Parts: sequence; C-alpha cells; structure tokens
Amino acid sequence: MKKLLAVVLCLAMALPCMAGAFAESTDTVKITMMVDTTVVDQNNGRDAFEARWEELHPGYDLEIIQPDHSAYYDVMQQRMASGDWPDVLILSSTYYADYAAAGALWDMTEAWENSQTKNSGRFNGDSVIEGLKIDGKLYGFAPTRGNGCVTYVKKAWLDAVEMETPTTYEDYIKMCEAFVQKFGTYAVSAAGFVGNEAPFVNYLPEFYQDAYPFFVQLEDGTWVDGFTQDSMKAALQRIQDAVAAGLIDKETLTNKTSDARNKFYDDKFGVFTYWAGTWATNLKTNLEANNLDGTLVALKPLEGLPQYYDRVPPVWCITNKCADPQKVFDAFIDTMLDGGDTQMLWTYGVEGVHWSKSAGTVLAGTEKEKTYEEGQFHMLENLEKAGTLYTKNHIDPMLSLASFAEGYYDPKADSVKPEAKAAAELFNENSRLASIVPATSEMSEFNGDLTQIKSQIIADIALGNISVEQGMQQFVDEGGQEMSDAIVESLNALN
Amino acid sequence: MSTLTKPTPQVKKKPLGQRMAKYWGFYLMFIPVLLFVIVFHYAPMFGIRYSFYSWKIIGDPKWVGLANFEKLFKQSQFSVSFWNTIVFSVIKLLLNTGLAVVISLLLNEMISLKFKKLSQTIIYLPHFMSWVVTASVFSLLLAPSESGLINQLLIQMGVIDKGIYYLADKGWWRVWYYIINVWRETGWQTIIFMATLTGIDPGLYEAASMDGAGRWKKMCYVTFPALANTIITVLILNLAKIMNLFESVFVLQNDSVRRATNVLQTYVYYQTFNSGASADYGYTTAIGLFRSLVGLALMIMCNFASKKVRGRGIM
Repeated sequence: MKKLLAVVLCLAMALPCMAGAFAESTDTVKITMMVDTTVVDQNNGRDAFEARWEELHPGYDLEIIQPDHSAYYDVMQQRMASGDWPDVLILSSTYYADYAAAGALWDMTEAWENSQTKNSGRFNGDSVIEGLKIDGKLYGFAPTRGNGCVTYVKKAWLDAVEMETPTTYEDYIKMCEAFVQKFGTYAVSAAGFVGNEAPFVNYLPEFYQDAYPFFVQLEDGTWVDGFTQDSMKAALQRIQDAVAAGLIDKETLTNKTSDARNKFYDDKFGVFTYWAGTWATNLKTNLEANNLDGTLVALKPLEGLPQYYDRVPPVWCITNKCADPQKVFDAFIDTMLDGGDTQMLWTYGVEGVHWSKSAGTVLAGTEKEKTYEEGQFHMLENLEKAGTLYTKNHIDPMLSLASFAEGYYDPKADSVKPEAKAAAELFNENSRLASIVPATSEMSEFNGDLTQIKSQIIADIALGNISVEQGMQQFVDEGGQEMSDAIVESLNALN
Repeated sequence: MSTLTKPTPQVKKKPLGQRMAKYWGFYLMFIPVLLFVIVFHYAPMFGIRYSFYSWKIIGDPKWVGLANFEKLFKQSQFSVSFWNTIVFSVIKLLLNTGLAVVISLLLNEMISLKFKKLSQTIIYLPHFMSWVVTASVFSLLLAPSESGLINQLLIQMGVIDKGIYYLADKGWWRVWYYIINVWRETGWQTIIFMATLTGIDPGLYEAASMDGAGRWKKMCYVTFPALANTIITVLILNLAKIMNLFESVFVLQNDSVRRATNVLQTYVYYQTFNSGASADYGYTTAIGLFRSLVGLALMIMCNFASKKVRGRGIM
C-alpha cells in the first residue's frame, strides 16, 4: 500500500513537469508584465483581464506581476536588483529617466516610428511622446496624458460677491479678497505650499506662475535650478503676501490632500486647484452631499500666466533582458491603443465583469440604483467595494492619447459626466507637459537634502517666519547653493 | 577557613548523533524555526557589504571602500539626525517610564475595582491607535485656526491672544512630540508595573500598617522599592531599542520642521525616496550599518548594566 502511495505521489509531481515540457514545445510567447494597481488587481477581475488579453492575442501568454500599489516601487527595485527582470514594466518619470540612463530599457524609438499606433491617424499625443524622449531616444510609451490640476471656483461664492470669473492675476486677487471679506475665511487652501513630486507647483499655480523649484532646461538647452531664479523670489513673495493677508490658508503647510478636500466640501474656502477630469465630478457630488451648490467654474490659466502643468505620465517600458523586444512591442504596446477590442479592454476592462451592455439594474448604493436597457453601455458594480461602480481600467478615457477607430463604439459619451469632460477638455487645451529631468550621480547624492532645504525655506517664507532675502541667504548658508550648483553642472555636462 | 565542596560526579555525555537520534522529534520541530532565522535574519546580513559599494540597483555595485562612511560623517543632516535620534529616544524613554510608574502607583491605590479597570482601559486605548490616526487627531487638536481645540481653549482662558501653529514651530513641535508619545504609550507601559504590583506580598503592607505607616509611607517604603527592579529592567531593555525611531516622528513632520526633527530612519527614508533619482543603496546601507553598530554598543552596555543590577544579563 505504501509503495503504491509513493508511486502515485511521484506521478503526481512528475506529471505537471511533463505537462510544462509539452507546453513549452508549443510556439507560445510568454510576456512577463509588472504593473501597479492602475490595472485591475486580483480582487477586481485581473484573471478575466488576462484571459481576455490572451484571447485577443493568440500565441501569447501574459504573466502579470502586480505588487500592492504602495509597495510597487520597493518590489520592482528588489526584482531588478535580483536580475530577474520582467519583459515589460510600468515606471514613474523618475525611475524612467534613471533606468534609461543606466541602460536598463530597450530603445523603442524606431519601433515607435514604424508602429501602427503612431501611424493610425487616431493618435493625438505626439507632444507627450516627444516629452518622453531622452537625448532624442524613446524608452517608454504612455497611452494617456499624465493629467494635472485646474483651478475650480465655487459658483455660489462668485455669485455671493457678485463677481465675474477672473481672467487676470489682479482680478483673481480681488476675487480672493472679496471671498475673505464676505465669508470671513481664507479663499484658497492646498496640500502643502510646494508638492513633493513633479510638477511641484500644481496646487498653487496662480501664485507660482512661471516659477519652478526644481531643475529646468532653458530654451538654449542649458539647465538651471528654478529655485535660484528671480521668478522664484517673486513667487515666494506673492505667497507670503497672500498668507499674511489671509487669502491662503496657513494650515496649507500641514494639510494632506484629504484635509484640503474636506475643507472644500465643508465650505471653508472657495478656490481649489485640484485634478482635472473625474475629480470635477467628485468635487461636485461631495459638495452636493453636504447640501451645498456643487456648481464649479474651472478657470483658464490667467492672462499672461503659463499654462497648467501636465505631469509626466507613467510609462510602459521594455527591459533590455526581454528576449524579443520587437515582438513584445508589437503585441503588447502597439495594441494598447488599437482603436478596437484591446483598447476597450485597457480602458474599460472585461465585458460582463467590469462593464456590460445587457439589460439590468446596477446597484451603486441604494440611492443610485439605475436600470439599463439592452444594448446600453454601463459600468458594473465594483467586485471589491459593493455599492460603487467601476469607472475605468488602466486608461482613463478622458486622458487617452487615441480615439477609438471609426465605427467602433466609444462609450465615453455614456460613461463620462459633462462636468468631468468639460474640466478635462479645458485642461487638455491649456496645459504643457512637465519636463523629464535626466538622472545623474550628483542628483542622487544631493537632491534628497536639497529638496528638504528648499521645502523648509518655502514653508518658512510662506508663514512669514523669514523674508524672501533671508530665505535665499539661508539656502546658501545651509549648503543648498553648493548642492544645486553640483547638480546643475552634472546636468549641463550631459548636453 | 576553606570550605570543602563535594565534587560533582562527571556525567559522560552521549555523542551528538545519539542525542539527536533520541530527541529527533524536537530537532524536527526546530528545523522550520532555524530555517526562518537563517533566511530572514542571517542571510540578509550579507547585504551589509553594500555599505562599501556604490550601488543603484541597476548595474554592478562599484567598490568605494569607506567613502560612504566618509560622506556620512561630513553631512550636517546626518549628525542632526543622529543627535535627534538619541535625544528624542532618551527623553521619551524617561518620560514614558517615569509617568508609567506614577500612574501605576496611583492605579494601585484605587479602592473601587470597577473604576480602576475603567481607568486602565482608558489609558491603554491610545496604544491601539495607529500613528497615522494619532497624527491626524493631534493635527486637528493643535490647528492654529478656530478648529484647533487646544488653541481655542487657551484663547478662551486668556493665556494667548491668537492661535499658535504648534506643529510648524521647531520648539513647540518637540514639546508636543513628547506629549503625544506620553499620551499614546505611557498607559500601555503601566501593564508591566501593574503586574509587579499585584505580586507584592500583602504581608508587607500589613506589617507596615502595624508599624503605623499610612498610605503614603506604604507607597514610599513598600511599593516603590518593590518596583525598583522592574523599573531598571524596563529602562535597560528599552534603552537597547532607542535607535529604532521612525513612525512617530515621520507622521508628525512637515516641511517647516523636517530638517530640524529628522532622526536616522527618516533621514534614510528621504535619502532613498526623495532624491529625484535612484538612491545610492550603498550610502543608505552605510547609515543602516552605523545605526546597527550603535545599537549593538548600546546592547552590550545594557547587558553589562543588567548583570550589575539584576545579576543576569539580557543576552
């Protein structure tokens, strides 16, 4: 009996190995893909996504490696350090520049030039792709814009002070002063006087204007540290004056994004610079949930001021350890925006799991129950969070860099709320892409300290603890200037 | 006069193989623990070698010798962070332990058992709040605006004219850091002292009563001496852990005070995730190694102190 059991166990272990051997003998190409939870995760129908992708790409076996969202870059770096690189992975702009400089990414410039996506006539993101080039070479592809923030003003507050939408900085300040006088509170609040990632200044664009606290490349190709420029001194003075006059909430320093949002929902202030697109709807519905008028006016950039910053989107890259990068590019990257079923999959997910056209009632909270007729597109209830609906998969339809092919059903009109569409369109028409700063040894050595020095000086100036001149002197005294010069020199040496 | 002691009979040990065969069940059960310790505690120690390299994950590590340590001691932020780690930890330790003793003594004096249990539960509770939630709650309480309860109370009492931005002021930040730590941790620390107090022989109190001692004298001459050994043990054990300071500081920091309040672990964090490029893991490993060496030195000192005080070491 024991011998029989041993034989059975041995066979049980051996059979899968044999099956593996047989499977390897077929022509299936395996693609290992590493991604954060911007693609539906295991609890939200990832297996269905994977199955559908493989169905649309016969001959390919997609293996998805998806760590927790917050641990993504930790796990990704551990994997890269171990030498077990995935074929394709998604990277933020910082890692993209760094890994490209280190020679870890496949140069897809030529593949992109010859790609179906670029030559489809539907692609509208040439400027985004240009912005991703490092030394004229493309190492990654973004199917969407990065998105950015626009300034929303509460219509009810504007009406209360009987003012029109401001178009100049002077009008904007007058409006803020009127709000302070009328409502006895501050007019503007944000999460931090300066952001902790590019584009840094997107929460207070009217005050920063053309100032930028990080490294920027001038038109002649020279790199400078934006923090040391005169435009930054002027911006810091504007911020200090506005905080002193009570126009900007001084708690901006310790606000988290959720704090700033909650204050806006609680009607503590009326001018809020926040994400374009879907957030326009979120802000509106949350205001209405507090019995407030949810109508928001999205401001165009004020006259004479630069456009809003469009942050560098996360990019899909093929690693240099991929056995056949051209094949992976063709199957994986070049089909993401194919204008058909694959684009639909990346944008909305899997039919029957994330969206449907079948007749039925969708439960998104008891008050939001909605019945759809046969053939009517609608998103389905979230598998993980009952009572909420899916809004998208990886590609935000409002940020997509390519439309669907002519004749293919585009659900955008049915799935996107008008205010979100309007805010997204205003942003797309009035934004510029934040630039990628190349990685250098000096950057990795000094920028951690340098960023802290800059942030502290900005905070101290904003709160009126020191003057702008004192702040700039502090920058020199604390070694900021020296570090800044070393980084600038290393960047210019790349030219 | 010399004392004659009876010689201990020599017991011949069986060979290791035979002993292992005899207790094979125990050894079998020990294997998973041994593997766990090797894989997760000892194997990662090989990473220490990176402190002598420059390494940014991609590409091969480049040998730099002691350059990382040289850089480390030249960085003003490193010395600020190191000093803060020591100061914050020691003051926190003394405050928490001291107040835990006082609270334990007071709890011990409570006559109503129900009230005592209620009080214990209330002071234990903050320990179970995450640091993120704790920081959010205190950010609200300490806000300079009208929503800040502390400022409003002080204004109502006429102590201050206008709200103070406590968390944005380097001096006030430290004061509130200690207060928040005491609020969150002191109650939990009383558990160990309460356990000691329940173990005190009631006969000692009866004897003290017969000698005419009141409650205060009983506390001074019976209770406190009984606690002394535990207090020293707690201090020694916690002293060995003082280099592990991160979360409590990290969640309360903001741009205005960050550079003045960094501790070694937050310094490593910002060097790793705030550099605008891949961090040099060689440098951050060097900081980690330095931290471990200081921790090891403290452990040895504590072990020595423990042997002196308790008659036995902690290692």
